[in-house]
Amino acid sequence: MNTADDGRRPYLRPMRGWWKHNPYFLRYLAMEATSILIALYALILLFGLWRLHQGEAAYAAWLAMLQSPWSLALHAVLLPVFAFHSYSWFKIMPKTLPAIYWRGSKLEQAVITRAGIVAALVTNLAIVLVLVGLPS
Amino acid sequence: MPEDSRTIEMEVLRYRPEQDREPFYQTYEVPFENDWSVLQGLQYIKDDLDSSLSFRWSCRMAICGSCGLMIDGVPRLGCRTFLRNYHPRRLRVEALEHFPIERDLVIVADDFIDKLASIKPYLIPKQVRKLEQGEYLQTPDELERYRQFSTCINCMLCYAACPQYGLDADFTGPGILALMHRYNADSRDAGRDARMRLGHSDAGVWGCTAVAYCSEVCPKEVDPANAINQNKMGSAIDYFLRFLKPRGAEK
Repeated sequence: MNTADDGRRPYLRPMRGWWKHNPYFLRYLAMEATSILIALYALILLFGLWRLHQGEAAYAAWLAMLQSPWSLALHAVLLPVFAFHSYSWFKIMPKTLPAIYWRGSKLEQAVITRAGIVAALVTNLAIVLVLVGLPS
Repeated sequence: MPEDSRTIEMEVLRYRPEQDREPFYQTYEVPFENDWSVLQGLQYIKDDLDSSLSFRWSCRMAICGSCGLMIDGVPRLGCRTFLRNYHPRRLRVEALEHFPIERDLVIVADDFIDKLASIKPYLIPKQVRKLEQGEYLQTPDELERYRQFSTCINCMLCYAACPQYGLDADFTGPGILALMHRYNADSRDAGRDARMRLGHSDAGVWGCTAVAYCSEVCPKEVDPANAINQNKMGSAIDYFLRFLKPRGAEK
């Protein structure tokens, strides 16, 4: 395409710092980055399952670890992280689905996102109610 | 002068390959009226201030897809973006991101054109009908399955919005993968298998990481992110199903 004597010298701009160019890209990176913390929390829960398998004392020690100040601080950080990731996950969800038709017209993507968020809120609320209602 | 005539500073990215080592910004004072588009601002510069400025345009009404530009860092059509929305601030106009700059605001679109041809963007009927057999019929519902994805005008704004395309030149990119989906979803077409050899690959749908900014900037609401990502499920199923098929089985 580009020979020395045709006068053409196409200039390709570098991609360095591309994510700083637009707040949309920052939100995208935040969505990707928060998934790492989600994976970390899955490991914590898996560790609990393994401790349960080891017996009652091990499981009780794992529960005690969860109640330590460091663990509570971690949970305080993770709660907004989970909330943001859940929101971003449901925001992208309609992009992954074929068009859904409801009573002859196409369901708007915002409706699918809102339905997902409402389902997540209801599920979480139900879990909290069950836990609060459990005899200690 | 009409009452609504004002002046705006347009900061334009210039690159003249015969004399510039790299692009630089040049600022022009452009008097404009309320209904002037950014494209009209560029035309004023070319006609009255600096005839050396190069840019592409044709229809002036968001149909031809020629005047895609970065306007204050956002991919937009110059003809449907209005100067009044930026006044009294200045605005910055640059060539579309992720493409090599040929000159000033003109990009090299060769990669896009080559990839466009590679996905066979035409109907591949299962059985070619003879003229006397009439047209390939389709119901309104069947049309609805792909209509949205058929309205692309090849303006390449989605490519300028896609960091994956900027980072990996092998990625087929949003607009063309949406067009691939448009033909695959057409009830008159039987070319899916031929197209999806590329579609299933990293250069195809799996090269997309669902940034989804392409769908935000599309001037025709094609929603390429939806066209691409709804294929990932089918692509994954195809991948696992081939382990279940007997060897040498007919497709």
